[in-house]
Amino acid sequence: MSAALTRTEAEDLLYREALLIDTQRFAEWLELFTPDVEFWMPAWRDENTTTEDPDRELSLIYYKGRRNLEDRVMRLTSGLSVASLPLPRAVHQVTNVLVLEADEAAATVSAAFTCHRFDVRMNRTDCFFGRYEYRLVLLEGAWRIARKKITLLNDTIPTVVDINSI
Amino acid sequence: MDVTQFVDDRPADGVFRVNRAIFTDAAVFDREIERIFEGGWVFLGIASQAENPHDFFTTTMGRVPVMVQRDGAGTLRGFVNSCPHKGARLAQTRAGNARLHVCPYHSWSFDSAGRSKAVKSQRAGCYSAAFEQDDHGLAALPRFEAYRGFLFGSMAADVPPLADYLGEAAKLLDLVADQSEEGLELVPGQVTFTYEANWKLQLENCSDAYHFTSAHPSYIRVLERRQQELSADVVASVWENSDYWKEEAQGVAGGSYSFANGHVLNWGIFGITPAIPLYESAGALAERHGEGKRDWMFNMRNLTIFPNLQVAENASSQLRVIRPLAPGLTEMRTWCIAPKGESAAARRQRIRQYEDFFNPTGMATPDDTVSYENCQIGYGGTVEPWLQGYARGMTATVEGGNRFSELLGMSPARSVLADSQLCDETLFHSYYRAWAQRMAGGDAA
Repeated sequence: MSAALTRTEAEDLLYREALLIDTQRFAEWLELFTPDVEFWMPAWRDENTTTEDPDRELSLIYYKGRRNLEDRVMRLTSGLSVASLPLPRAVHQVTNVLVLEADEAAATVSAAFTCHRFDVRMNRTDCFFGRYEYRLVLLEGAWRIARKKITLLNDTIPTVVDINSI
Repeated sequence: MDVTQFVDDRPADGVFRVNRAIFTDAAVFDREIERIFEGGWVFLGIASQAENPHDFFTTTMGRVPVMVQRDGAGTLRGFVNSCPHKGARLAQTRAGNARLHVCPYHSWSFDSAGRSKAVKSQRAGCYSAAFEQDDHGLAALPRFEAYRGFLFGSMAADVPPLADYLGEAAKLLDLVADQSEEGLELVPGQVTFTYEANWKLQLENCSDAYHFTSAHPSYIRVLERRQQELSADVVASVWENSDYWKEEAQGVAGGSYSFANGHVLNWGIFGITPAIPLYESAGALAERHGEGKRDWMFNMRNLTIFPNLQVAENASSQLRVIRPLAPGLTEMRTWCIAPKGESAAARRQRIRQYEDFFNPTGMATPDDTVSYENCQIGYGGTVEPWLQGYARGMTATVEGGNRFSELLGMSPARSVLADSQLCDETLFHSYYRAWAQRMAGGDAA
């Protein structure tokens, strides 16, 4: 007998996702996403609104399908990207977790994040912050991420922002 | 300033070298701001950023905050975005619509033609006759002109007309503007990033064919993976549907053109491929403009209009505005530029291709900007101050154009026809000759 997703379960998944990406356990991180995941970080249209239609407006990142995230991980770990060597040290704080709607099969969750990143290469620390919106689904007995929308509030990018610091 | 200490240009000896100090020296930087960014034509934006009556957008020229505003009758003008009263920045946003701008500090107001509307409590102000006779409107930019919707301004009044400044390079802006009869637009969503290195590194990298296979192998590997497992999840790559740039490619692959005043183009032959969003218009464009010009629209083209505009049409289509902030700090404002009226599918393809390649959150640009930062660090090494990065193509560059520029009726100052391995560096000479010309000469007394 399954039940609707609780806030504790949502927090558990979101915190685990943060730990996996922060500790560079990329294969396990990828497993948290469904094969058809939508991974989206909109750009800003003006001072107050982000872009809303990824087909007609620009996003900072937009992917449909986990294989695109696999490509990003491959690039990060390939040793072929000077921007990714060495990988920055980062830690995510995920807070303000709210389950907005939930049933036995799916849930919508919102959260806030800050990510502190230390760029070892440049001896430089940056902080990125914003909000997450998740669509979670129960897949083969485990909650998985079917959609993740990242609203990055400080969007003047200091040289580079990759999937490991948002 | 004696510019020969920064640019060693001796064509008869086969020597062209640039001194590392050009990227790091504070006095050089200050003079660049004064002579180049506040002393001549600078790109401001495109007309569609202020499409309707009373629309405006803001930008900068060197240190000068600028507002470009369309008035109620449709005329575009450029102003210093600063209240004449106390100097406060007037328009606060990147863009907007305002019949009236009211300064948030003391409520002086201005109409959309920049004229003073009201000085708050003017009659009670006990002003002198001299003040009453003053113009209290916004200061217009000394020069403001448009070419095919590309808007330029100059803080110096004594500059040649814009058409003369652009010269033959204007025909390369035509290639962008003519892709749709309806004109150009910027896809909603501006992306801004900074990098901790000199602005001229961006100038050079856009024109640098030599770095592509060295700096972007991780991106190229991703494209190869996608090509092997094509599905609806991944977007077709222009690069993977063309071979001209690959190190093993044979034959004429493209080359470079250099123009007066520091404008340059680095280009390559992509061919008419469905991987390019413009493919749906290939037939119509050939009918309208002839096959030669149509084929040019499908070529890889990285265009720089000196000093701060770049239009890169390679993996997708990008408009970039370069803003120097300090010798070792640069701001880049970037947009996806696109022909108006293209199909929803073409627009979607263009956007997806853009994000992966051009964004600072994508898979290519960070490997460029991090390399700029590595250069900036390396410039500290002044044991041998002269850089060796301006020498490829020295025996290939010829005066005038070639059979490809003839297709556009275009007469560049110099050209190089190249295979994939040549990767001309002589096009950078055009930047630094224009740079030296602007920087040289006596200081104002």
